[in-house]
Amino acid sequence: MRRVFAQARKEVTEIIRDPLTLTLALLLPAFLLLLMGTAISLTVTELPIVVQNLDGSLESMRFVDAFRASQTFQVVPWPVSEQPERALSSNAARAVLIIPPHFGRDLLRGANAPVQMLIDASDPNTAQLTAGYAAEIVRAYDVNLAPAGRAPAVLAAIRLWFNPGVDSKKFYGPGMFVLGLTLFPTLLAALAMAKEGEDKTILQVYVSSISAHEFLLGKILAIMFVSACESAILITLLLTYFGVSFAGDPTPFIVASILYAFCVAAFGTMIGAAIPNQVAAVQAVALGGFLLVFILSGLLFPIDNIPVGLRWLSNFVWGTYYIEVVRDAFLQGGGWSAMWTKVLAIAAIGSAFYGIAWRNMRSMQLKS
Amino acid sequence: MKMLHALLNQRLRALILKEFRQMLRDRRVMAALVIAPVIQLLVFGYVLSPTVTNVSMGIVDESATPESRELVAALVESRSFRLADYYDSVNALGNAIGTGKLDSGAVIPYDYARDLRRERPATVLFLLNATNANTATIAQAYVEGVLQSYNAQLSPTTASSAAVVLQPAFLYNPGLVISWFMLAGILGMLLILVGSTFSSTLMVKERATGTIEQLLMSPATTTEIIVAKMTPLFLAFSVMGLFALVLIRYLFGVPFNGSIAVVLGAGALCILCGISLGTFIATITKTARQAQLSVFFLNPPLTSLSGAFTPVQAMPHWLQPVTVFDPITHFAAITRGALIKGSGFDVLWPDFFALLVFTFILFSLSVWRYRAQL
Repeated sequence: MRRVFAQARKEVTEIIRDPLTLTLALLLPAFLLLLMGTAISLTVTELPIVVQNLDGSLESMRFVDAFRASQTFQVVPWPVSEQPERALSSNAARAVLIIPPHFGRDLLRGANAPVQMLIDASDPNTAQLTAGYAAEIVRAYDVNLAPAGRAPAVLAAIRLWFNPGVDSKKFYGPGMFVLGLTLFPTLLAALAMAKEGEDKTILQVYVSSISAHEFLLGKILAIMFVSACESAILITLLLTYFGVSFAGDPTPFIVASILYAFCVAAFGTMIGAAIPNQVAAVQAVALGGFLLVFILSGLLFPIDNIPVGLRWLSNFVWGTYYIEVVRDAFLQGGGWSAMWTKVLAIAAIGSAFYGIAWRNMRSMQLKS
Repeated sequence: MKMLHALLNQRLRALILKEFRQMLRDRRVMAALVIAPVIQLLVFGYVLSPTVTNVSMGIVDESATPESRELVAALVESRSFRLADYYDSVNALGNAIGTGKLDSGAVIPYDYARDLRRERPATVLFLLNATNANTATIAQAYVEGVLQSYNAQLSPTTASSAAVVLQPAFLYNPGLVISWFMLAGILGMLLILVGSTFSSTLMVKERATGTIEQLLMSPATTTEIIVAKMTPLFLAFSVMGLFALVLIRYLFGVPFNGSIAVVLGAGALCILCGISLGTFIATITKTARQAQLSVFFLNPPLTSLSGAFTPVQAMPHWLQPVTVFDPITHFAAITRGALIKGSGFDVLWPDFFALLVFTFILFSLSVWRYRAQL
């Protein structure tokens, strides 16, 4: 045990004495969380739209006002003489609302009045949101229009749970917290391990009396300590800037965080032990850590959207489980009953990484 | 002609030849150049999708009448919702949503059928897990849409009297195929990120091994050295980019509506920009490790600010102007415009201009810094 702590202390000292590494370790996760947590969002606001009102009646003006009043749309001017499609192809607007002549007359006559909306679908998700928002505005307008007693038969009372303001920041903030805690400790662990191999200082470890378990645990403990410091900074940011708070019992989150720190440190050490070359190790971490966790863990988009043939892969991505635990801790508050399987999964994947790293190291001899 | 001749003098030719041979002999680099983009295109193109389908829905049917079952059928027969399970009470349903088993739930009240028969409005409670803001917003629109058409079926006379009817038309991508959007952004990301990673690693080599002194002492000018170093990289990345375009066209079936020359021109600029970025990073770092780390930390912000995966309009207002300084933003705008929308150079020239400015600044910076390395 004493040797484990000595090894860990040596690693921490090494990180502290290297200013570049220290900044990378402590400042960059915070920077990444701030930037990506704010920048990544799918729910658009103030979409520029062009209104072509070919009617000009009082009713049509009122109808346009309903669009003007919404926060989702921002009506931008567009000359009537120009083709409306041009507003889309020149990126001046994302949608065009066209009100045909006789719109007002049709409404007053009690007939249906169709309006057309041309939506730029080169971004399908935004296009879908735009159509949804527009339909809601039209529906609200129709309800106002209908005389009393003619309300629709079935009304929907929709309650949005856990994030009533549908604020993307609250969803992506915790996600980026996980990305930061995945990327940087892994990188540090892989670099520290690969460096021993590259500088051949690993030979000194081989001839010393330290065992493979003690050596690996010492390295992992040091990285876990760095992870803990990073988490402290990141959680402070989440609680202040992102405005989330612990929704329920925080103990699953705390246990999962410790296990996750072990898991990523073990993964980095495993990579570093397998690839004794710092440049190649960084590439491997970039591909393994960043790409897998970024894409397959449900960080950006729901896992259900991944094609079935590839979806099973995300069961092996360690970030998947931790993201669920973190989102649960900050938004849903499901507690142990919902999260114990995820915590176990993190522990299992971490042990597997540790086992592979140990297999690589156990003989304490240079590979021939 | 005379200028071109001067540019391609013997010294430069020899240097280019040397760099070419050096690169071709590095098997690992060549393999990574081919494999990396293919894997990334496939993974990103197939896996990343914000589309909302199959939202799992739990039902509490307190009414248990033919009318209520009809409503449930109307909700789940669309591909948007998937019936997960029936629950006995609102509490049980709430717990299932809280623990993440369900994304949404509907509660049909006990007097639902009675109200319908008496032609009184019936209210159905919908619970949506809004943790993911995007999914919740789209699911909300689905619910409203399903109910609207259900209402229209129930009472065709009332629904069709004096109402504004919205007729949305999706231009450019009527099938709403998400990979068309993604791939255009990912191509730019590949060119810039793979370009800068490889070039920074290769460029910093002279410095790490100490041969840079010999290079700088040779009669070749700094510009010549850098041009010679960039030429083989540029050619290699061009091949990679063309390969990626072929994949995008024939594997993913993205339409090429506009002029291919616009895309190729933008691609060439984008590659140059990536290489210049890598070269600049190589001149301010000392070892391959530092260069890789710097590129590594540039990647996430460049990617997330580019609008390659998420629309720029969804970013906070103070952040939107910053995206102008991201070359990937402009390349994505050009490819999306030229491939999917069929826009021409007359619309896209500001993005071209921006790419040109970035490339020029980064290239000049690296030439200037290259000398100062000693």
